[in-house]
Amino acid sequence: MATIQELKNELKKLNAEYAKIKDLPADQRADFGKQLNIKKQQINAEIAAAEAAAEQEDVAPLDISAPCDINGELPQFLTADFGSKHPLMTELDRVIAIYQSMGFDIAESVQLDDEYHMFDSLNFAKGHPARDGYDTFRTEEGFIPPAHTSTMQNRVLKANAHKLAEGKAIAVAVPGRVYRNEDVDATHEHTFYQCEGVYVSEDCTLGNMLAILREFFEKYYGQKLNIKTQPGYFPFTEPSLEFLIEKPKSLGGKGDGWLEMLGCGMIHPNVLKEAGIDPTKYQGFAWGGGIDRLVMLRYGLNDVRNFESAKLDFLKEFAC
Amino acid sequence: MLISMNWLKGGLQLDGISDEELVKLIGARLVEVEGVTDQTGKYDKIYVVEVKYGEKIPDTHLTLCKVDDGGIAKDVERDEKGYVQVMCGAPNVYEGMLAAWIAPGAIVPQTFGTDEPFKIGMRKMFGKYDSYGMMAGADELDFGDDHTGIVELDPVWAKPGKTLSATFGGLDDKILDIENKSLTHRPDTFGILGFRREVAGILGQKHVTEDWYFNPEQNFKNDPKVKLDIEIDEKLCPRYTAIVFESNLDGVKRYLDFESTMLARSGMRPVNMIVDATNMMMLAFGQPLHAFDYDKFVKVGGTKHPKIIVRAAKEGETLELLDGTTVELNTDDIIITSNNVPVALAGAMGGASTAIDDKTKRVILESATFSLYNLRKTQMAHGIFSEAITRFTKGQPAGQTKAVALRFADKVRKYLKPLALFDTQTTPPKPIEVSLTLTQINNLLGTDFTAEDVKKTLENVEFQVKLDGDKIDVTVPFWRTDIHIAEDIIEEVGRLTGFDNINPVLPLHATADPNPLYELKTQLRNHLSARGANEVLTYSFIHGGLMQKVGQNPDNAYKIVNSISPDLQYVRQSIVPSLLDKSYGNLRAGHDRFALYEYNQVYPRDLGTDNENVPRGRHELGFLFVDQAGKSNYYIAKKYLESLLDSLNIQYTIEPFVADSVHTYYEPKRSAIIKAGEDVILGCIGEIQGRISRGFKLPAGVAAFELNLIALLKTERAANTKDFRLSDYPSVSRDLTLTVPVDTSYAKIESAIRTVLADYIYSLRPTSIYQADGAETKNLSFHLEFAAPDKTLTKDEIQGIMKQLEAIK
Repeated sequence: MATIQELKNELKKLNAEYAKIKDLPADQRADFGKQLNIKKQQINAEIAAAEAAAEQEDVAPLDISAPCDINGELPQFLTADFGSKHPLMTELDRVIAIYQSMGFDIAESVQLDDEYHMFDSLNFAKGHPARDGYDTFRTEEGFIPPAHTSTMQNRVLKANAHKLAEGKAIAVAVPGRVYRNEDVDATHEHTFYQCEGVYVSEDCTLGNMLAILREFFEKYYGQKLNIKTQPGYFPFTEPSLEFLIEKPKSLGGKGDGWLEMLGCGMIHPNVLKEAGIDPTKYQGFAWGGGIDRLVMLRYGLNDVRNFESAKLDFLKEFAC
Repeated sequence: MLISMNWLKGGLQLDGISDEELVKLIGARLVEVEGVTDQTGKYDKIYVVEVKYGEKIPDTHLTLCKVDDGGIAKDVERDEKGYVQVMCGAPNVYEGMLAAWIAPGAIVPQTFGTDEPFKIGMRKMFGKYDSYGMMAGADELDFGDDHTGIVELDPVWAKPGKTLSATFGGLDDKILDIENKSLTHRPDTFGILGFRREVAGILGQKHVTEDWYFNPEQNFKNDPKVKLDIEIDEKLCPRYTAIVFESNLDGVKRYLDFESTMLARSGMRPVNMIVDATNMMMLAFGQPLHAFDYDKFVKVGGTKHPKIIVRAAKEGETLELLDGTTVELNTDDIIITSNNVPVALAGAMGGASTAIDDKTKRVILESATFSLYNLRKTQMAHGIFSEAITRFTKGQPAGQTKAVALRFADKVRKYLKPLALFDTQTTPPKPIEVSLTLTQINNLLGTDFTAEDVKKTLENVEFQVKLDGDKIDVTVPFWRTDIHIAEDIIEEVGRLTGFDNINPVLPLHATADPNPLYELKTQLRNHLSARGANEVLTYSFIHGGLMQKVGQNPDNAYKIVNSISPDLQYVRQSIVPSLLDKSYGNLRAGHDRFALYEYNQVYPRDLGTDNENVPRGRHELGFLFVDQAGKSNYYIAKKYLESLLDSLNIQYTIEPFVADSVHTYYEPKRSAIIKAGEDVILGCIGEIQGRISRGFKLPAGVAAFELNLIALLKTERAANTKDFRLSDYPSVSRDLTLTVPVDTSYAKIESAIRTVLADYIYSLRPTSIYQADGAETKNLSFHLEFAAPDKTLTKDEIQGIMKQLEAIK
């Protein structure tokens, strides 16, 4: 293998070759230049590799098992005051703890999925415009970073179907990171967090769903709350609703405003069927809502972009 | 979609229901109302006037007018006949015309509701002509953007002295703003008729659609001389109705009409009488119409009479649209052709070659429906988002094309004479029928409706309902293309009667299963943050250059084909590169020593796919320690790692680094892998290569670790990795220093000490590692405390132990 110095000399010579281009017939210049560029790239890559190897040679090994460097001080942890937990993750903890206390199992969502779980298994007709509303990203292979935690419904239903046979209900909450192809500004992120809820039993009703959701938000905000609904449309629920709560006192509510918290509805029979659950015997409901917004509301934040910024100035506000 | 409440309210019984309550009910039971624009007062003090006198002022564009307002305006100077003087710059003003006059004190409607409303008054022009108020053009009245002259009113029904608002049946209106996406499944509500029907249902009122809508053929006779052929592909175009008209536009003058005021309120721009009439039909019934110039159509196709062929476009075909752009068609586009020559992009936009103009003698009106799936692709491919295609992509019902076409003919008969109607549908399709039971409804909703309640609720919105005990048979009206199964009917019942009237009842709670992954995640976050580390979140998508910078191969990453920017083009393979990327900014912000960590999922391609053929991911914890001082941070990272693993009672070993495809940025000579047992790799730890750190403008010695959380979970946990016992007998406190060759590993020595002390209750703490200048040995010093579990150690016993310890090498 050539030494770094030899390679550098070669590069020097090569650079001198460029001067010859102007003496060539016009039709040969481009080709000649191209060849030179290829060679130059090769040599540069070799120099880089040689330099990296040389630097490797110079690196002193360390005792991977020791507690400290030779003649070095024993390391100390940073002061606890420095530490912080991400507010989004802390909020997810809160949400999940409440769902668990209400009897919901927890299953984390995947972050790369396929068309089947994201749409087909959720009763979206092939090529239906409703798919456009989700502004999904796609990989070259056609995989989809999920745009909603509902992407887990089919898996959750399949994995828990045995509970129905045992006479129990399926009750699962699914937190996860989701993605939408939209421009980022103070109130929009392409990456955010949601939590899904799925409940199936022989006889659960829409009235049960409203009660569970109200219960959740009453626990979450620590007060009694009025609720209301708006009609919604999701191919995977029928009926479909938007769920609203009155603005809680802790957020400055005075019994006048409403907050849209999530979308919900009775699981469409086709979704149950697709998961191998007999829709004539069982029925269920599901919902999904954003976590980022809960955090924004709780702390009165105004710029969602800070969440994924990894800026310590922001994060240290959330010392633990 | 913008909806005029005045238009919507026509025919509804609204006694005692305020607009506010109505909007609330619509929001609760039909669709979210994004906003309400109150236009009350927008046309106050605007009157119909007759121009009694007009005198051109030489060398200006102005006409001095005297207008008769019936004496209605206040605070204006009047001449002896009671007329008011207004200067007018419009070329079309003439004596005897009826115009709209914005009286002094009125706001110019164009500026109503803006930040700077313009209040009109008296102006003196050229220093000598008093001008009270102004004569208004369509743009100033906010009825479109026509600025060529002032509007003229039809003397047949407009009367001077009347307000403009009263002349048009009330312009004090409220406009509802509805998000189109929210009604994706309800094509019928994209017309006032359907929206109003729903509102009636919500109010518990029976809506009755007029008979012409169901039986549209009355009184229409085709002129046998008029011929027209239609060929359709029913998959692309379920139904095509056409009417041929003879134009009677000669001498027809366009006055300001109700249509213009309503189109403007609905967010559309008035164009000309024919186009406006088609648009009004679309707003009223959700059925877009299109008008072709008959003679141009025939000429393009080279036929004697029109031959309409609706088909998929072929690769390579092009079409010049009405707006002058030429589009390259693809095979998903549906096109209208004249004898196979493309003349319109179906559902999206007409073509230039058959456009209506001043010379149009005959018109072909199209009233058709098209495959929403194809039109959706057309919309995306050509970026056309017109009001028409918005409606078509919801799936307009085929059942109304003929009725709406005939309704159009009825509305325009003054200037378009219908000659013949052609329709591809001979027999209407059988309506959808859904059977369900009352029990089913109440069991799904948690309600106690009676069968009569259900019947009335559904009949109010024109479903046909037959009751038979518990059984309910429903015939679905043709416009409800969204209803197929029992649950769809149940939704209608719940929604129209108000989901909010359902009593929320908690089901019995079961207990939840513990979730080990979630618990582990919580434990490690608590552990690291309590020790001064900062939890961060960073994007799952990164720049290909970032991978190259850390030595990862972008080919091993899933590539996003529609990424927002190159910065977000690849799904990341591990966490630490993102942490490296975010460190410099924090150093610059004045944080000179910090630890970042993130838990998330990563998806290197070489993990392959699972049994459902979905990519496998790894649940990974990444940790990075950065110190501006540039010292090695390996040992502090290791301290965090070990305390974490110890807290989880995981038994592990630290072994020489082994490279893999993802963790390419560790310096092999100063890194290690963490193993549990013989072959489970939990993760790795080490210093980041110097070149790579420099690439991120970071100081030397940056150290990191990564842990695979699923591997951690699968590792059997010891009951305790630490001895918590206290001896009942006195313990001995001793310092121990061992001199060993420089290349002896610390672990070897520590493990030897532990072997010697295995039978005792002991604690071990390293205190220093010292090497003198130039020496080939190093001193390892420990502080030890030990006691026997069952007795007090004698002096001899202690000496014996110490001897054994001192012999270690």
